[in-house]
Amino acid sequence: MKRMKIFAAGMVLAFAATTAMAQQKDCILLKTVAEIEKVDTNDRGEKTTRLVPAEKIVPGDEVVYTVSATNICDEAADNVVIDNPVPEHMKFVANSAVGPGTEVSYSIDSGFHYDKPAALKVSNPDGSQRAARADEYTNIRWVMRNPLKPGSVAFARFRAKLE
Amino acid sequence: MAIIAFCALSTPSAFAAGTAAGTAVSSQATVSFVISGVPGSAQSGAATFLVDEILDLNITRVSSTVSVSAGDVSRVLLFRLTNTGNGTETFPLSIDNLIGGDNFDPQAAAPAIYFDSDASGDLSAADVAYVAGSNDPTLAPDASVAILLVNNIPASVADGSIGRSALHARAATGIGAPGTTFPGQGTGGTNAVAGAKGGQAEVFGEYLVGDVQVTLAKTVTVVDPAGGATPVPGARLNYQIVVSVAGSGTAHGFVFTDPVPAGTAYASGSLRLNSTALSDAADTDAGELLAGAPQTIRVALGDLTQAVGPQTIAFTVTIN
Repeated sequence: MKRMKIFAAGMVLAFAATTAMAQQKDCILLKTVAEIEKVDTNDRGEKTTRLVPAEKIVPGDEVVYTVSATNICDEAADNVVIDNPVPEHMKFVANSAVGPGTEVSYSIDSGFHYDKPAALKVSNPDGSQRAARADEYTNIRWVMRNPLKPGSVAFARFRAKLE
Repeated sequence: MAIIAFCALSTPSAFAAGTAAGTAVSSQATVSFVISGVPGSAQSGAATFLVDEILDLNITRVSSTVSVSAGDVSRVLLFRLTNTGNGTETFPLSIDNLIGGDNFDPQAAAPAIYFDSDASGDLSAADVAYVAGSNDPTLAPDASVAILLVNNIPASVADGSIGRSALHARAATGIGAPGTTFPGQGTGGTNAVAGAKGGQAEVFGEYLVGDVQVTLAKTVTVVDPAGGATPVPGARLNYQIVVSVAGSGTAHGFVFTDPVPAGTAYASGSLRLNSTALSDAADTDAGELLAGAPQTIRVALGDLTQAVGPQTIAFTVTIN
């Protein structure tokens, strides 16, 4: 009887270890939302801006993308890095990438290298180099400075203009 | 430090009109992390929207101010209509001659709007007349079409007066204040949205009435076979005609004709324009000898203005 009990406890332990492994992969729930700015004017002519779901978008319009990363596990997540390619048909809007508690860097080669804007150089046809323009960025990366605690949400946001 | 040669990395979908209506644009993020020393990663769902159709167009005036004379018929103004929206759109056309800021209203010919089908820039037999509701131009994004407005000039207009005639075009899907939405009426069931011009455009061209007087001065010199100046059989008659233009206008497509005088024979190869020999054949030069009885000297002088200066035509006949 005693032997049986120990055996059963061993089974439970093994099962728990398996779920922990599975959960680790899915510990961060990532969500992307596309919105546009809508300007409302009240009776006194004061203007307020709010974000509404992206609709009625034509070339030249700006879309605000918000990425939220939620830690749904019981342990803190370290080295949290969010990466977002600039969507096809869109151009990144200069200085629009923000994320509380993150370091933002960019890529101009589809995510092979990332760096600060000043370090991203493009070769001119004559061989000289110039700083890459924001509309040449292909990817945006947010690196969290601190671990993402259980139940916490990290936000990353950028704007892109439809070509 | 990343250094990239940026040659052909830009996307090829670069319409001036922008991303085509109906295109699905998606954004998707990824995250990587480490929990308890074990790396993990996740992807967000795609946030996708469909590009709506912007209704936009541009009309440019191709003709500069057209110089006309009072009473002229079928004078042409050339325009170009371009679809600057991002979806294929049909554009009904109309002519508007009630434009402010001018001195007279040109009279629209019937029909008054033609497609410059042969791209000649002028009205020609190959050009197709526009019929509203029947052959409204349908243009893909960035596509354009050349359009002619045809007007008659009133007989009573004064020298120096200006008449304006405008081409108006509008998006068939709808017009309205910029931003007006036509739900579900865009390309592929997207919404159509009135662009910065509200989905319509109007651009005018101008006619300038110029007074013009053309005078011809004809002189003849006789050279007889004996070296004198007696008009005997065999004597040569050297004719000289000076065509002069006065006034601010233009004599369009001016053609000089003169029948060979009775009892004389044209001296082959004697035709000159401003001392330059012209062949007698109908060819690329301005002059020719037309067959018939009598034969006729013909010199096409083109558009003459005072600035062009006098034109001197010379030819010789012999007395039979």
